Amino acid sequence: MKVTVTRSGGFAGLARRWQVSVESEPDEESWILLLRKLPWNEIAQEPPQPDRYLYRINYEPRNNATAASPDRNRITEPVIAEPREVVIPEQRLTGPWRELVDRVRERDEQERNLAHPTRNDG
Amino acid sequence: MTSRPNQTPTAPRASTTPHRSFTAHRCFIVPPYLLAHLASLEDPRLEHTRHAARRALESEHVFHTIRPGEPGTMRPPAAHPRASPDDDLSRPNRFISDAAGTETLPGRLVRSEGEPPHTDASVNEAYDGLGYTHALFCDAYSRASIDGAGLPLEATVHYGEAYDNAFWDGSRMVFGDGDGQVFSGFTRSLSVIGHELTHGFIQYTANLVYSGQSGALNESVADVFGALVEQHSRDQDVTEASWLIGEGIFTDEVEGTALRSMKAPGTAYDDDVLGKDPQPAHMDDFVQTDDDNGGVHINSGIPNRAFYLTAAGIGGNAWERAGRIWYETVTTEIKANADFRGFAGATIGVAGRIYGDGSGEVEAVRSAWQVVGVTS
Repeated sequence: MKVTVTRSGGFAGLARRWQVSVESEPDEESWILLLRKLPWNEIAQEPPQPDRYLYRINYEPRNNATAASPDRNRITEPVIAEPREVVIPEQRLTGPWRELVDRVRERDEQERNLAHPTRNDG
Repeated sequence: MTSRPNQTPTAPRASTTPHRSFTAHRCFIVPPYLLAHLASLEDPRLEHTRHAARRALESEHVFHTIRPGEPGTMRPPAAHPRASPDDDLSRPNRFISDAAGTETLPGRLVRSEGEPPHTDASVNEAYDGLGYTHALFCDAYSRASIDGAGLPLEATVHYGEAYDNAFWDGSRMVFGDGDGQVFSGFTRSLSVIGHELTHGFIQYTANLVYSGQSGALNESVADVFGALVEQHSRDQDVTEASWLIGEGIFTDEVEGTALRSMKAPGTAYDDDVLGKDPQPAHMDDFVQTDDDNGGVHINSGIPNRAFYLTAAGIGGNAWERAGRIWYETVTTEIKANADFRGFAGATIGVAGRIYGDGSGEVEAVRSAWQVVGVTS
């Protein structure tokens, strides 16, 4: 179960991507609870605002191999069976979507800093 | 991003400060016979007289007119009913607010028009930048503010936490402070401020759809007038200007001079973390993508270079003839869904209308669009 956030646009037009594998998160259940709150089918379209960010959020479900031996204490049923993708303009990134994006970004950046401790030291 | 020990740790902020003083009296939203008179009242001690005279002499409704010496072939723009005869539309009406690190707009109003400088540098940079943008549109194109009718210019600084962006929300400009590692504050670059306000100008004129080629044109026009605001404020001609957008926005840790180069798209930065400036300089390299509303910040490199080449071909101050051609194109010629080819054709037509078919200006425009591969 993977969540990928791609941020494009912005004044600089610099694309950024952050990703989290939910199964390998220590607080997997809270991720699943968050993923269940997302209103995937309620994305309102609206005209873009100049220079604002655009967020593309991709969800890939758990593959069968890793779901073979569920822990009884975990919430094991799939969050959503099919892959999903939504594109949300920054000004509409609120509620659980904002929570998800902030969380994916934070976790991904933590991982990168562990892997490359000098990366952001300039 | 590697450290560069040879570089001064902080770029001198004063170096980006424009040195042209405001010349608001040159914005001709009053009848031509007043112009000579007003020009004679530059003495600040006569400020009150100047104002009184203008109020008395201004006609029932405020209108644009053509500046003496300008080609007379242009259609005078329509009157703007929203303007009141008491408004001095040659002066900006600025309001700067502070979001104080939140994402709530507009934030707290901290500096209004005519108030002395604030202790906060970002507030003053935004205030001055709005003034220089107003001055370009007023001086060069006789346009009273971005809507042509004296719209107050509003900005919010210190938006969000380590926010790496600046944007136009449809009614105000919003600036983040940057994260301090890649980006410093977005008010530091006058071309960024001019760019954001030009999105407002576009919204009130051609209203180019912010997607695909028309979106890249929207971005390019914002870069064009953003660069011209900077050049006009510094009194730089086409050869003196940097043609960079967002110079001074990156921290010293980034291997790059600016966010975009209009003269040489694709060369503004090349950094081990950020990657290389992805802008194409020719239609052969047009980028197809679903992100960024169809690559509006990427493909704008192509029309950006066409503008630079036009300005270089004409020579002198870019805001005068090249800028005039683009201005007239955006205000009178194109539709919201214009593509590169349609825009190119419109600029050639406008150049012919203003400067005459067969003029050097027309040749410069025609050649520029050929060089970037938009026309053959």
